[in-house]
Amino acid sequence: MGLKKKLLSAALCAAMVGTMAIPAATVSAADDTLVYWSMWESTEPQGQAIQEAVDAYVAETGVKVDLQFKGRTGNREALQPALDGGTQIDIFDEDIDRVNGMYGKYLLDLEDLAKEANYEETAIPAMMSACREAGDGTLKTIPYQPNVFAFFYNKDLFEQAGIESEPTTWAEFLDVCQKLKDAGITPMTMDDAYATSVIGYHLGRLVGEEKVVEIVTEGKWDDPAVLQMAQDIENLATSGYYSEMVGSNVWPAGQNTELALGTAAMYLNGSWLPNEVKDMAGPDFKWGCFAYPALENGANGVETNNFGAQVFGINKDTKLAKEAFDLITYITKGEYDKKLSEMSVGIPADTTNAEWPEMVACAKPLIDNSTTRFTWAVGVETNVDMTPIIKENFIKLMAGTMTADEFVEAMKSAA
Amino acid sequence: MKKNKTMIICFTLPATIVFLVMFLYPVIRTAMMSFFTMASVSDSMSTWEFVGLANYAELLKTSIFMTAMKNMLMIWLIGGIGVIFFALLFAVILTNGVRAKSFWRAIIYLPNIISAVAFANMWIYYIFQKRFGMIHNIFATLGLDKLARTDYMNGDMKFWSLLIAFSFGSVGYFMLIFLSGIERLPQDYYEAATIDGANKLQQFFHITLPLLKGVFKTILTFWTVSVVGFFVWSQMWSPVNSESQTITPVVYMYNIVFGNTGMSERMPGKGAAVGILMALVVLLIFFLVNRLFREDDLEF
Repeated sequence: MGLKKKLLSAALCAAMVGTMAIPAATVSAADDTLVYWSMWESTEPQGQAIQEAVDAYVAETGVKVDLQFKGRTGNREALQPALDGGTQIDIFDEDIDRVNGMYGKYLLDLEDLAKEANYEETAIPAMMSACREAGDGTLKTIPYQPNVFAFFYNKDLFEQAGIESEPTTWAEFLDVCQKLKDAGITPMTMDDAYATSVIGYHLGRLVGEEKVVEIVTEGKWDDPAVLQMAQDIENLATSGYYSEMVGSNVWPAGQNTELALGTAAMYLNGSWLPNEVKDMAGPDFKWGCFAYPALENGANGVETNNFGAQVFGINKDTKLAKEAFDLITYITKGEYDKKLSEMSVGIPADTTNAEWPEMVACAKPLIDNSTTRFTWAVGVETNVDMTPIIKENFIKLMAGTMTADEFVEAMKSAA
Repeated sequence: MKKNKTMIICFTLPATIVFLVMFLYPVIRTAMMSFFTMASVSDSMSTWEFVGLANYAELLKTSIFMTAMKNMLMIWLIGGIGVIFFALLFAVILTNGVRAKSFWRAIIYLPNIISAVAFANMWIYYIFQKRFGMIHNIFATLGLDKLARTDYMNGDMKFWSLLIAFSFGSVGYFMLIFLSGIERLPQDYYEAATIDGANKLQQFFHITLPLLKGVFKTILTFWTVSVVGFFVWSQMWSPVNSESQTITPVVYMYNIVFGNTGMSERMPGKGAAVGILMALVVLLIFFLVNRLFREDDLEF
């Protein structure tokens, strides 16, 4: 082999090895660049609004921002390993409980920055206190895209059935269901993905979230509240208040083909629902919503709800804390908060943006009147080994293919 | 050509480094993790707590994990029999002078080029759907009301609808492997057998099948690997959170390693133990298949 060839081969080898080292070298951005790992996809309305806000922020301040759209799964799978591996990520976002709970140890305390910027003057108090609660008493995250989990319904169908007011108690709720049924309307439907929220809410109303967690983690399925809950749901099933599709709806079949198309009147879901189904529901769909009704002798009432938000967190190791907080403020206040709310048909985080998109305006009194917070599915998904069994059997209970006693037995034997 | 050891090392080094970093390191780390507990998959080793075989012992006592194992075994066995039977049947038909062979081969293979997500949606919404699905419409047209009302996506039948849909899509892939196996068999044997008066069935059982031993070995190994890694279809049948009818060990592993929608505790150590167990299952099946289909000294 000639010397030239040898040199060329060696150079090629070096080039190959060199290219392998590139990813490692680009893990850290330049010191003056803010790195934001977003939970959205660039094609989603939220992603597009955030991109606009970031572009405007960069143009106005000159601060460089490296915005990376990772998506829900991307953040869930890769964020923590990346943080542990020392990758520079200054800002990240996700659900309030996940960020404060799972990523809590990476978060910067934001109390001083928020005070300095007078941030809370125009923030929703319930959301700020939810963030403090989730952050063990101190503010580590900034909420945006607030949401509330409640019954969303088709106002036209309620009107058609002659229903004049939203139910607040279980008896009123049953009355609403009966009126809808009498008018030939399927009172409600559900999708499999949210079945756990139904059992969570009902049990939570009866005994409170702490007890729900105790039941699912310690296997206390012989608690009388479980049977009571199962009987209430069995009653809904046998009375014909659930859609006949409830046993086989795979998300998003129920919300898309039943609620949005007007064949079912109610659906228990988050305030993101109108946005998700808007193309199917059409512009004339009138949305209403009410809190999960209070139960007789229950531990709490309609003032306690599963409300929350997506939240921004700042890495405690960031060198650009002030800039990071400024960018978050830019996205969650004024013009861009309004834009985000409009583009995603979501709830604005800034209280000066008093006008909510019409489709979610019904959730305003609900959030305003919520004083106590339930976490996701009221804690019923806390035991990962039980969730699949709870979900499957509860769907059968809603579908009427399982009785209340059989449900309790199935839970007891699985625990 | 004279071998130049330095150059060989230079050229194989990048691939070797990539292999060691990307494969060997995670494998070793996973194996180690399965004997420890930790809060997150990327926690530094100094925070791990040694628990010996406790993760494995706990898994065997976890009823949902055993359900997942049972589901996987049933997919492997029942689905395997169905898929291999139809794949072989189609391969034999296509190699027996059927007209428009390429067309049929393409049609049967087609499901493999469609994304599993789109394909699963097609089954859920257009075939199994209780109100307007294809099966419903066929039975309704035939006046078989009871069958038309059957709910193929309900909690008692979800496993079977999942198994049928998944297996349907797998037939084409294995058919291609059988096809290539059959096509390379020498035609002389068949000619001689025909002259001796053997019919097609006798030729299949006495020539084709025995000579396909090696292909069966490949197919069983591939089928096992695809069933052990059964994930997307299960997620499509039970989105967001799992159900006992559709859960498989890797879905369970994903749930306990990354958590789901709720604030459930994450158990990466136990998840690693699931991974190791799955690797052992593949190895075991591979070993059994090798014992069962010993290579003969046949040369053709």
